[in-house]
This record gives sequence, structure tokens and C-alpha cells, in this order.
Amino acid sequence: MTNSPSTTSPEAPGLARPHTRHFGSAAVWALSAAIIGYALVFGGYMATIVAFALIYAVFVSGLNVFMGLTAQVSFGQSAFAAIGGYTSAVLTTTYEWAPLPGMVAGLVFALVAAFLIGFPTLRLKGHYLAMATLAIGLITYEIAVEWESVTQGYLGISGIPPLGIGPFEAVSDRAILSVLSVIVVILAFAVTRIRRSRLGRAFSAVAGSEEAAGALGINVSRYKLVSFLIAAAIASLSGSLFVHVVGYVSPEVFGLHMVILAFTMVYIGGLGTVAGPLIGALIISILPEVFRGMKDYQDLAYGVTMILILIYAPKGIAGVAGALDARRSA
Amino acid sequence: MFQAKHQLIAGLVVALAFAGAAQAQETYKIGISAGLTGYAATVDRAWSDGVQTAVDVLNEKGGVMGRKLEVVIEDNRSNPQEAVTVYRKMVSSDQVNLFSSGCVSAGNAAAAPMVAKSEIPMILCSILPKDVEWAFTTLPPAGFEIEKRFEYLRDKTQIRKVGVLHDPTPYALLQKDVAQKVAAKYGIEVVSTEAYKQEDADLSVQLSKMQSAGAGAVMKIGLGGTTLTAAKNLKQLDSPMLLLTSLEDLAVFKPVAEVLGDKFFFVASPSQVFEAYPDGPLKTAIGQFLDPWKKKFGDRDPNWASRGWDSVMLAAKAIETGKSFEGQAVRENLEKITGFQGTTGVYDMSPTQHQGISSNPFVVAQIIDGQVRIAQ
Amino acid sequence: MTAAGTLEVVPPVLDVRGLTARYGHVEALKGVDLTAGRGELVAVLGPNGAGKSTLLRAIMGLIPNQGEVRFLDKSLPRRDPAGAANKGVVLVPEGRGIFGPMTVLENLELGAFAIGRDKAEMERRLNRVFELFPRVKERLKQVAGSMSGGEQQMVAVGRAMMSDPKVLLLDEPSLGLAPRVTGEILDTLGALSASGLPVVLVEQKAPLALKLACRAYLLSLGRIVATINPREVKSHDELAQYYFA
Repeated sequence: MTNSPSTTSPEAPGLARPHTRHFGSAAVWALSAAIIGYALVFGGYMATIVAFALIYAVFVSGLNVFMGLTAQVSFGQSAFAAIGGYTSAVLTTTYEWAPLPGMVAGLVFALVAAFLIGFPTLRLKGHYLAMATLAIGLITYEIAVEWESVTQGYLGISGIPPLGIGPFEAVSDRAILSVLSVIVVILAFAVTRIRRSRLGRAFSAVAGSEEAAGALGINVSRYKLVSFLIAAAIASLSGSLFVHVVGYVSPEVFGLHMVILAFTMVYIGGLGTVAGPLIGALIISILPEVFRGMKDYQDLAYGVTMILILIYAPKGIAGVAGALDARRSA
Repeated sequence: MFQAKHQLIAGLVVALAFAGAAQAQETYKIGISAGLTGYAATVDRAWSDGVQTAVDVLNEKGGVMGRKLEVVIEDNRSNPQEAVTVYRKMVSSDQVNLFSSGCVSAGNAAAAPMVAKSEIPMILCSILPKDVEWAFTTLPPAGFEIEKRFEYLRDKTQIRKVGVLHDPTPYALLQKDVAQKVAAKYGIEVVSTEAYKQEDADLSVQLSKMQSAGAGAVMKIGLGGTTLTAAKNLKQLDSPMLLLTSLEDLAVFKPVAEVLGDKFFFVASPSQVFEAYPDGPLKTAIGQFLDPWKKKFGDRDPNWASRGWDSVMLAAKAIETGKSFEGQAVRENLEKITGFQGTTGVYDMSPTQHQGISSNPFVVAQIIDGQVRIAQ
Repeated sequence: MTAAGTLEVVPPVLDVRGLTARYGHVEALKGVDLTAGRGELVAVLGPNGAGKSTLLRAIMGLIPNQGEVRFLDKSLPRRDPAGAANKGVVLVPEGRGIFGPMTVLENLELGAFAIGRDKAEMERRLNRVFELFPRVKERLKQVAGSMSGGEQQMVAVGRAMMSDPKVLLLDEPSLGLAPRVTGEILDTLGALSASGLPVVLVEQKAPLALKLACRAYLLSLGRIVATINPREVKSHDELAQYYFA
């Protein structure tokens, strides 16, 4: 949404977006970097929490493409994380594949599944689509539980090798955090590019009004499907990352819990923003630890904080930062 | 925005404080990853209270080898990912020396490799994670509950055909497999095996299938409210089949007994039928646990708590045998424990056997007129 | 070139035949015939709920419909708004359908979505919109949602023109606008049709539309009840007769 690459009109001066200064957004990135940096330096269980947060940031980035950029609702993205995660887990344990090809295979399966599911369901609107996707998440969960010969049911699959390419393996906290950080940054960059691209314009037109977008010649169902596929691919990646980082997978990992957490992250972080998924994932992951000392009041404190953030920053943290930037330069 | 920043700064400060505080190590810390909330809550709260009771009793006697014990408990919300986080917290921030963790199998399995890398022994309530030499379990072998029921049917009834009704949890699946394998040894035939889910509100389809397959008894494997559901369905079907369920909190069984009366049987651990249990070393061991337990919790079901108690006593035994608190030594001495009389039976560990209970301590019991009795 | 007054001499670009549409059980459109040819601005008049918006939405294929929409002598697919738009049948929807959070420029560029990355063509089309609405050019980087209604309507028409339409459909462009701005926009539409572009204008403010139109269809309860030659309408009273007939 910044410089419009498709126009270089000399007669149209100052085509850049109103904000030229980005203090707020920079602060959000700096804060995220500080949290990751802290985990990198001090390690300990903060490293585990931040690692999970980064994996969630990946998952939420995908959700953000579908929900934020395209304004569709899916409660079923956990299904694609499960497909990615289980494909990686099964191929690297039972069939002893290397992690990377396993991940790619998961991605392919997730895309095929997303296409088969998305093609009919994306014609649905609003809460029909939400219900359909919710069902997909639940069905995938059931399959993970029932298809014991492959998934080992509730017992789960253990002994999944760590992330790695060739001789390099990410085993230490620092290596894991570094790999995940790089992936999150690449994804943020990719989302920025998508937003500015023709594809991103189509997404935001669909987000604005499906009818108006259609009347302008934008094939609404096709772009919804593309958005869904991108989200599914990213979800699948996050699922694979999870199983390699933890070394274990069971159906509960990709349950409704994951969907609720991801929704909280995307709204607290800022729906449709680039930095939102990362800062949302980090904050939602760290908050319970901040309140852990409060024992029985932990959930209460967490809930109150959520409500306060949503009251004072209804567009999420990155959303507020962006709005501050816009006001400052206006 | 500022709100969030302050929270974060507070968070970082708290995290730093955690890291600093754990330096001085005078107490021997026992960590519990327990599902205090979520599906495992009933079991894991009982287990944790059992661990705490054991620690209190040992500390009153001056601790283990003069060192006091301390319990660190974290709620894993019955979720494997949360379990990894809390295990990690207890390893690096609290620097616990040993884990006595609850029954969330997936959580224990997910965290096991990391715990093993930190060389901390774990004594669990759940089934053993795979290939982990640092984990031990107090769980009786899956066959025990099944065999006790078959034994009862063979010795005390004419029933030779049964149906197996199980949920999809790992322990239930193990038991189901055992049931199919060992039935013949007792002259019993499993004529029907049906699955259900923990949240099912009606089991009459499964039960009708079993009845029409000729089953004279239902062997139910799995915890929770479905036992009452099964009982009600049997009543509605006016079925002559007996219901024999697996080990469970007695509180769950009381309403079931009201529905089915003398057609309802369950596997009970010795601590649940303490009064009626024959005298012997097992009864003595249970008594040592039940006294402090009843003082604190009254009539609360002692079954899972007694295994939590055992886990602490096993650890104390291993420490005293090896005269060392060091992780590797404790692990090795846990493997050497043989003939240890616990509240759930006798533990015989070895380098290849980390599931220690070797003799079947269970009985088949009934609730008649509100009183728990060993079935006759 | 202009054909005002001489009905049906120009071969129609858009030829709607027996178009029917229903919402649930309610038949909102009952076999409507309508044509618009080169250089023609045809108005669709009628009271609230007559089915005017439904007619445009059915032509675009935004709602399920029956009957036939012929465009340049070929049938349009029944339910493919994007396809219709890409062929050149473009709708400026009721309420403008402006993308509020986007800038004016981004809105305009979306109008030319089909041309892809052809920068030169984009320039050409932008400049043409600037000629039609000089005011839009000054506001290019403004967020569209923050503009006045009249300006938004200009962006909406401009965005439609960005796709280089062969037929332009407009749903009540005067809605909620001050008379002066409305005049400005309608004048532009008149100029567009005079340059050859067929325009179908749905309007509730009949006098305004009749000034521009070469032909007006009076829609009532989903049926065309009269086809009017604006030159023959002598007074408001005469028009009122049609409305309440």
C-alpha cells in the first residue's frame, strides 16, 4: 500500500503514501527484535517460549493473508498445520526422509487439500465459510486421532529429527531461534511484497467488497482460493517447524486450542498488518509467563490484559503503531 | 500500546528474576508437570496432591539424607505444547532435580527428549515415552486391569463371551489389545470390540451390537462420564449384560452403582478397598500413605494420589541407595530398585524394565448400599 | 451521431431480453427488455423497490437470473460478473463501492486490473480519467474513504472508466449528493455517451435523467411499464402519471 509500483506518472506528484516516517512501526519491530534477542542471549525457558511464539508467528502470518488481506474467515487453518506437521513427522521417522523434503511433501499435501476444500467452500460467504472451515479443522483432528496405523493416535509420534539441511542441524536453542527468526523475517518480507503486488490489490479489493471487486473484473473466487492456498502453505510450514523443533507430535497440538490462540494473536498484533503476526504471537506467548507467578489468577490477569489491549488498541498493536505514524506525518 | 510495553518490561524483569533466584540449591526440587486444568484435571490434581503429601511426610522426618524436598508444580493445561513449556521452565528456571509428572502422556512424551538431555530422571503417572532411559512409570502394566476382570468372570460367573468398549486414549488402546490377546487364556471370547469418544453422550448403539453378538458382559476401558452414560444406556436397553469398568475415581462410580446396582463391577486399586483388603505388606504400605492423606483430604479417592506418593518414595529410595542426589546416580539407582513395596504393588525395576509394578495388586469391586466391597 | 429522439435506429451494444430475477420466492424482475446502443444514454426510472438496482445486478450476473443478456451480439454468461466486466460491461454500483481504506490512485488502478503490468496503458487511462474529473487528479494520494460523497462518486465513475468499458451501468449516482455535484457528474456522463459510450443510468430523480437520456424505461414492480421519449414529456405531471399508473 505504499509506493505504487504500477504508476510512474510524472503528472502525478507524490504518489508515495502519506506517511514517510515510521517511528511506530519501527518501534514494533524493535520490540520484537528485543524479545527475540533476549531469548537468544539468556536462553532458558524463554527460549522455548519464544521459539513457540515464532512458530505461531509463521502460522498467524498465513492466517493474516487470508483474514487480514482478503477479509475471509477460516477456523480450519489448523488442519493444514496438522497436514504439514504429520507429513513431516511420518516421513522423517517411519520413512527416514530428511526434514526438508518432508516439509516440501507436507506443503504439497496441504496445497492439494486446500484446493480440494477451498474450491467448493470458498463460494460460501461469511459465516457459512467459517462453519465449513471449522468442520475441516475438527475432521482433520479426528483423522489424526483415528488413523492410528499412520499417526499413532493420541500416543503421538516421537523421535522426530531436528530441523536441518545436510550436516547442519538446529539443535541448540540459539540455532532454533535463529532459523525460526530468519523464516519469520522472510515471511514478513513476502507478505509486504504480496500486499504491494497486483495479487495484493486483488485481495484488498475482495476484502473491501466482493461485489465491487467482481464488478471491476476481478475473479473473486479465484483470488479467494489463491489467498486460501497461500495461507494453507504457510500453515503447513508452521506445522512442520513445530514437529521438528519439539521432536514430537500428537493430535492435541493442532486442536481448536491452536485456532483460538492464533485468532487472539492476529487481533492483538493487528489484522492485516505486516508486523502484527510477529508481535501478536510474541506478546500472547509471553503474557501467560508474566502472570505465571500469580498462580490461580493467571488466567484472570491474562484475560484482563487482553481486554485492555483490545479496548485501547482495537486495531491491534501494529495497527495502532501504523495509525500513529499516519497521524504524525499528516 | 504503552500498556503492552509495560507488561513486556515487567515480563522481562520477572524472567530475569526467575533466572537469578534459582541459584541457591539447598532443597531437592521435585517438578510436576500436571494437567491441573483440561481433560486430565481429576487425575492429575489427585496425583499432585499425592506427591505433595509424600513430600510433607518426608520433610517432617527431616527430608531425604538430611535434605529437604520441595515441590514445584506447573499446570500444562493437558496440552502437549504447554507441557513442553512448563517442563522447560522447571528445568532451566527452577532447576528441578527430578520430575514426578502427571498423566498427560502426550505432554510427557513431547518433553521427554529435552528432559533426558538435561539428565533429570522422570517418574510418571502416564505410559512411558518411547526410547527414553530417563523415564520411569508407576503405571501398572496394561494387562493387569483386564486380566483381573477376566479372572473374575471365569471364577465367579458363567459368562464366557464379552464385548470390549474403549476410548481412543493410548492406555485404553493398549488395554484393548491385551484384552483381545489374553482372553483365550481365561476361556473367554471377545465377541465384539467397539470404540467411543470421551465426549459421547450415547453409547446404546455400541452396547446393542455387543448384546446381539452374544456378549454377557461389557468390559469398559476409559475414564470419565461415559461410564455413567453406558450404565444408563444398559438400563434403558433393559440389558442383562454386566458392566465391568476400569480403574477410576470412586466419586465417578457412586451414581453408576445407583443405576445398575449389582450388575456393576469395577477394577479397584488396593487403596480404594483398604478396609476390606487382606492384611499384609501391601496393606501396611497403603496405611502409611492413607493416614496423612485422610488427615488432609478426608474421604477423597486415594487411587491416583497413592501412585504420586509412590513416585516420591521410589525417588527417596534411589537417592538413599546411591547416597547421591545427582541425576545420573538417581537414574541408575531407580533401575536397581527391586521388591519395593509401594501402595499400588511391588516395584521391580531394571535397565530394561522402567514400568516397575510386576504383581497384580488389583481387585474387582462393587458398590452395594453405598459401600465399596470386594466382589464375591 | 447522436440519436436522441430517433428510437431504435442505432444497433444495440447491449440487448437485454426477457430478464427475470428473483430473491427467494419474490420475483423482483419479470421479463425486462432493454437496449442501449452506441452514443445512447438510456435511463431506467421508477419508484423505490421497482427493481432498478436488481436489473443492473442481473445484467452483470451478480445475482441469479433468467433470460438473456446479449452484448455485441453475443450472449453474456449468466453468473460471471468478472467475465462480464472484462468483456466491457462495467457497473458503478449503488453506494459507489469505493474501497475506503485504499488511496484514490489505488482505487483507480484496480479499475484497470485486467491490463496487468502495462504501465504505458495505465498512464493513458489515468490521464483520461483526469480529463473527465480534474479534481480526482489532485486527490490521488488521499485515502478514498476520507473524501466527500461527490468526490467518491467521481472516483467510482473514474474507476469504472479505467477498465475501458464498452457499456457503462450506473446505479443512482446522484444518491445523497448536492445538486451541483450531481449536475457535474451527470454532465460528464452526458459527454461520455456523446463520445459514443452506451450508458445505462438508473435514477430516481427523473427530471435530471430525462435531460440527458435519449430514451427512458419506466420500471414498476419488476416490469417495464412504459418506454418514454424524453422530448415528448411535456411536464412533470405527465411523468407523475406514469409513476402512479
